[in-house]
Amino acid sequence: MSLSELAFKLNDHVTNEGTRFDAVLSEEGVLEVVCSNNDEFPINIVKTDTQLLAITPLFDAKEVQAEKLAELNEELLYMSPAIPLSSIGRQGSTYILFGAMALNTVFENIVHELEIQAENTLEVLQVVEPLLV
Amino acid sequence: MSILKNILTAIRGGASEAGESIIDANAVRILEQEIRDAETAIGKAKQSLTNLKATEIQLKRELNSLQNDAASYESKAMQALESNNEALAGEVAARIAEIEAEAADKSAEHQSLSAQVNKINSMIRQREKTIQKNRRELEKIKTVEQLQKATSSMSTNFAATSSSEHRVSKALDRVKQKQTNWEDKMEAGEWMAEESRGDELDKKLSAAGIGASSSVGGASVLERLKQKKAGQ
Repeated sequence: MSLSELAFKLNDHVTNEGTRFDAVLSEEGVLEVVCSNNDEFPINIVKTDTQLLAITPLFDAKEVQAEKLAELNEELLYMSPAIPLSSIGRQGSTYILFGAMALNTVFENIVHELEIQAENTLEVLQVVEPLLV
Repeated sequence: MSILKNILTAIRGGASEAGESIIDANAVRILEQEIRDAETAIGKAKQSLTNLKATEIQLKRELNSLQNDAASYESKAMQALESNNEALAGEVAARIAEIEAEAADKSAEHQSLSAQVNKINSMIRQREKTIQKNRRELEKIKTVEQLQKATSSMSTNFAATSSSEHRVSKALDRVKQKQTNWEDKMEAGEWMAEESRGDELDKKLSAAGIGASSSVGGASVLERLKQKKAGQ
């Protein structure tokens, strides 16, 4: 399924939990998806030869209280294995939450992954919020 | 050296500033081209391997045929000896010698070809492993490239709002507020649904003549008044 097809299907879909999606494909080939259960932190989907990557940028390293950076990194390392379907990483100076799916993942599972990722984002941010400026 | 290690070194080196790609696009294209070339070469090698293998099978068949011929002549030579026809046996023996010489040549050729086939086969397998490894490396590079693409737009936003303190806290508050509103609406919706269900039930009870009658007719009021008067 191409990213434009995915965008089309997502815009027309409501999950059992009532989550809706607002998906827009950028010129650079990034599919930005806003989930109604968390519309402040969009999920960016990109495609490689073998996988779909769903990435939610969380915050910039500059947004972390300087003296709390090590503590934050440790918190995230501890937290990462406990988060269902998502992992935590850093891209450049941006902390990200991401999930990887095989290209042949069925639409229902992609939706499930996105819905969970939107929830995970809130949970992770609530934990680290006291360490941010 | 692992490509991943190079990528990490590049990222740590701060090459991932906004707008700057840590991935050398030319290097990616070269690696892709190398993979394609190697695949074409393997395709050709497989084709010649098929031809060599066919020749090897044919040689083996010819060798078997010669060995069968030799065995057959040997048995005939024995029969000639048994019937004391030594001259004929001698002719047959000469024929056997010719066949055995030819078989020895074929056998040597077959062995050499067989070794060549095995060598090319293992070489192809080795090259295929290398290609698979390169493909995985390329996938790592592309993953990082895509990650960077997906993160960069938001990073720009972060940069734009970096002056705004408590960005995450404020965003979380807004989400919480929306969730609370949504939950309130859901609760209101459920209350409404419950109310309608209650109305429905009352109607059903009324229709079945159970419970208080919703419409009190004038006749029943008159009857009640009469009873009250009679009781006085």
